[in-house]
Amino acid sequence: MLDFMENVQNAFYEASHWNLDNSYGALNTTARELLDFKIPQGLRLQISSLAAPNFATSYTLGSVGVVDGSVSYLYSSLPLRKEFKSSHIDLKNVIRGYKHVQELRRPDENWWWELWHAGKRVDRKNTLLYGRVFLPQSRLEALYLRRLTPTRQLRIAAVSDSNLNNGGTILALLQNDVGKYSTEYMYSTDSALMGVRGLYNFGADPRNAPTEPTSVDQVEPVHGRFSAGAELYYGLLNKSGGISTGLRFTTLPNHPGFPYTMTLTLNPLMGNLSSTYAVKAGSSLALCSRFDFNFYSYESELQLGCELWRQRSTTDVEWAVKKLRPGWKQRTIFPDDDVSGVLKAKVDQDWRVGVLWEGRIKELLFTLGASLDLKKRDQIFRSVGIELQYSS
Amino acid sequence: MAFNFNWSPLLADTSRARDMLTTALNKSPKPPIIVDDIIVTELNLGSTPPELEILEVGDLAEDRFRGIFKMSYAGDAFLTLKTKVQVNPLKTHLSTRPDFASPQPLAAASGLTIPLSITLSNFRLSGFVILVFSKQKGLTLVFRNDPLESLKVSSTFDSIPFVRDYLQKEIEGQLRVLFMEDLPAIIHRLSLRLCSPEFQEIEEERLDGTKDGVATVDPLATPPQDAVDAFGNPLDESQISEIALDPVGEIHASFSQKNILRLAALSESQRTLSLFTPGIRDAVFRAWAGPDRDASGTATPALTRGSLSRIQSTFGTMRSGASSIASGSQGTHDTHDTHDSRPTVSSTTYSMSGLTLGAGRSRTGGMRKRKKRVVDLRKKTTETGADTGSVNGQSEMASAYASETSSVVYEEREAGEVATPPRSPARPDLQHDEPHGILDYGEPSMLADNTASTETLTPAAPLLSEPPRKSRSKSKQRDIYNGETIKARPSSRRPPLSHNQIRQAQQSTSPLLRSLSFDKIALASPPNEAESSGGILEQAWMTKMAQEIARKVQQEKDRQGFSRDRSPLARSSKGPTGGIWASEDELEAPPAYVA
Repeated sequence: MLDFMENVQNAFYEASHWNLDNSYGALNTTARELLDFKIPQGLRLQISSLAAPNFATSYTLGSVGVVDGSVSYLYSSLPLRKEFKSSHIDLKNVIRGYKHVQELRRPDENWWWELWHAGKRVDRKNTLLYGRVFLPQSRLEALYLRRLTPTRQLRIAAVSDSNLNNGGTILALLQNDVGKYSTEYMYSTDSALMGVRGLYNFGADPRNAPTEPTSVDQVEPVHGRFSAGAELYYGLLNKSGGISTGLRFTTLPNHPGFPYTMTLTLNPLMGNLSSTYAVKAGSSLALCSRFDFNFYSYESELQLGCELWRQRSTTDVEWAVKKLRPGWKQRTIFPDDDVSGVLKAKVDQDWRVGVLWEGRIKELLFTLGASLDLKKRDQIFRSVGIELQYSS
Repeated sequence: MAFNFNWSPLLADTSRARDMLTTALNKSPKPPIIVDDIIVTELNLGSTPPELEILEVGDLAEDRFRGIFKMSYAGDAFLTLKTKVQVNPLKTHLSTRPDFASPQPLAAASGLTIPLSITLSNFRLSGFVILVFSKQKGLTLVFRNDPLESLKVSSTFDSIPFVRDYLQKEIEGQLRVLFMEDLPAIIHRLSLRLCSPEFQEIEEERLDGTKDGVATVDPLATPPQDAVDAFGNPLDESQISEIALDPVGEIHASFSQKNILRLAALSESQRTLSLFTPGIRDAVFRAWAGPDRDASGTATPALTRGSLSRIQSTFGTMRSGASSIASGSQGTHDTHDTHDSRPTVSSTTYSMSGLTLGAGRSRTGGMRKRKKRVVDLRKKTTETGADTGSVNGQSEMASAYASETSSVVYEEREAGEVATPPRSPARPDLQHDEPHGILDYGEPSMLADNTASTETLTPAAPLLSEPPRKSRSKSKQRDIYNGETIKARPSSRRPPLSHNQIRQAQQSTSPLLRSLSFDKIALASPPNEAESSGGILEQAWMTKMAQEIARKVQQEKDRQGFSRDRSPLARSSKGPTGGIWASEDELEAPPAYVA
């Protein structure tokens, strides 16, 4: 489940028309959400509030052996009008699962953002500021996000912690997204790491999309998208680097069959080949598998995962439904509208199992998770945790 | 001083050391680059031993050693490790960084683990080593500073400079920890295996596992309830070190409550004026802790040699901390032990008795004091024997006499030895007292022996002088001490005597006792010789001493006339206390009182 602050940041992206998914880093989001979901440990409570459309606060209290906590503040120059109350929030927004890749959106024109007043340009670049202090550890996280142009974004993330080398690290990320392709340039002060990432989407260029809707029979509808990308890193100080390339094919919402996503990533330096296949088998079920193989060490790894959405029970209105006249045409509830929770499970070839149950009780969002090791009969439970969120 | 450092046996079997190193290396949290257990596959200590320079020897005895060395090593030892490492530098790098400011690469940080064998060679060590050895507690070796100067790490990744440097750095760090923390524990454990037969036995027992424990083992040697694995599997290191470092604790645990109380009383008695020392049966003292040490023959040589060296070291400084050794020896209850090799010396010294009074005296004074300390401790042993009953040595001897007499002997001896304060310069009995001192002189080698001699000789002195007078003066002192002693003595085999009773008893029985005690010497001598053959070193030393003594005797004899003249004179001046003089001279103060 997304953190409140992550949710607010996503809302900022959304409001500023930034497509998070059009990035090489998000190539296998679906597989990560289904296979690498984080399992909470211990107890964690979070109380958050979007006090004003531009300002959000969040307090976290956690207990994993010792009590710790964090305080975070967020400022957004763009007013966020989305619903953030935990009682009304759409679970589909905060619980990530199978990711339906949307049609590429044509990027905003620069002049769309221009605001002129009395012959002067008065528009400001949208900015997001975020800070979080972890209390006993005295760690500070800070984020500066600035939409430079409709196709460009600067993201600077910093961590200050006395335990780190040089007392902290700063990552600067410059992202360009024109829909057809996206590029990212990054620099990290930690060992002077530099990186480049790029993603290219095959198919029609959204920038050249016809302004007038054409008839269906004129243009063959596209049901899927093929993307390819690569990343390259090099650490100046430790003279080490990394490289990887990836491919993805995913179905688009207008795909007539069941949606699926396939990715293949390759790290030629380390000889690592990873393939994932995720399928949304039904309205409430998604399955995913990942196979890793290293052709240098011949090590392989297999992971399986699934998510199962639970529909909101209708017992409280069932009596009323029964009393309906048989001839009365019942209005079908759209399945995605009313979900009360999701069950995620994953297992790997070593019989390590992770189970996560996320949902809402009354006005609280909860995340209940456990990781198990079925090979160790004497100590099956490795960790159990629960997270509770309340936001207003 | 030089040490013969026998390096080759250490090369023979390194499997145990390998196992322990493996355990030690996996104990501490490993750097992220190492993703599997570290296994030591090869360990060769090389042919070149380290150079040790003795900086300070704090304690030296047969069974103990404490010293500070300066160690430098530039040998050809090598060590081969096997493990699995993560070779993707990006992954290991990012795993230690917070996610928030991480570039979060998609697949560039995917891992590749490959097996790695690292050979560590060209060790260059130099540092100060504190070495403590005790037969019972094994060898403890601690580095005062970080000894690692340099080493060469060669691995499969020598061609990749980053990985090589990283490995070199990480391994050096790990080795520093190893040297400072883990190695002492490993060496200690190894030394226990090698040195302590008891421990070895335990180990073997454990290794045998299935064998029936038919052989009755000394209860003190019962295996401690430790978690050492029988089959060499990796163990809980903390547990190992715990056990290794505190075998004594384990043994103590098997003492009965009663014995603990007695031990407490024993240690108490060293600190107070009380002369009482409780008897402790089956007590295992540090110096002869092995189960096979019960036989006096084996135990004594070691002791004697230890005490010998000890005495040499403390020769000039009298009353230095020698008591510890003596107390160690005190554990030998056996009669045989106590008589061990004594007569040879005593016979020699007897002849020279009076001589020491003169010129030789000042010289021997220091030694005498030292000897006395030893004597006193032995006395305690015998007391113990007398107290605890028929089993122990004293009672064995005493069995010849009536139980009462033995007790009186005990009293008298005690009194005589303890009666320090009044110093009467001379008396005719000098001869007999002197031997005492000289005996002790020869004595230090046989720690437990003195009991017999002190017992026999002290009474002998009064016998030659006029019994009534001396015994009276003695008895006065006795009164003082006995009152205390008797009160303090918990073992009431013999009912506490009133002062008068004691005095009477002593007055009446003392002549008899004295004569008897002479007999005792005669009786005691034959077995002693047999037993004394145990320690070659001891014997050599004894003969040397005997020769020296004989020479001195000769010298003294020349001056004898003078001393004879002097002694009566002195005696006439302080006649009444003459009887005590001897005891004062020889048995100046029990060690407990010596500052």
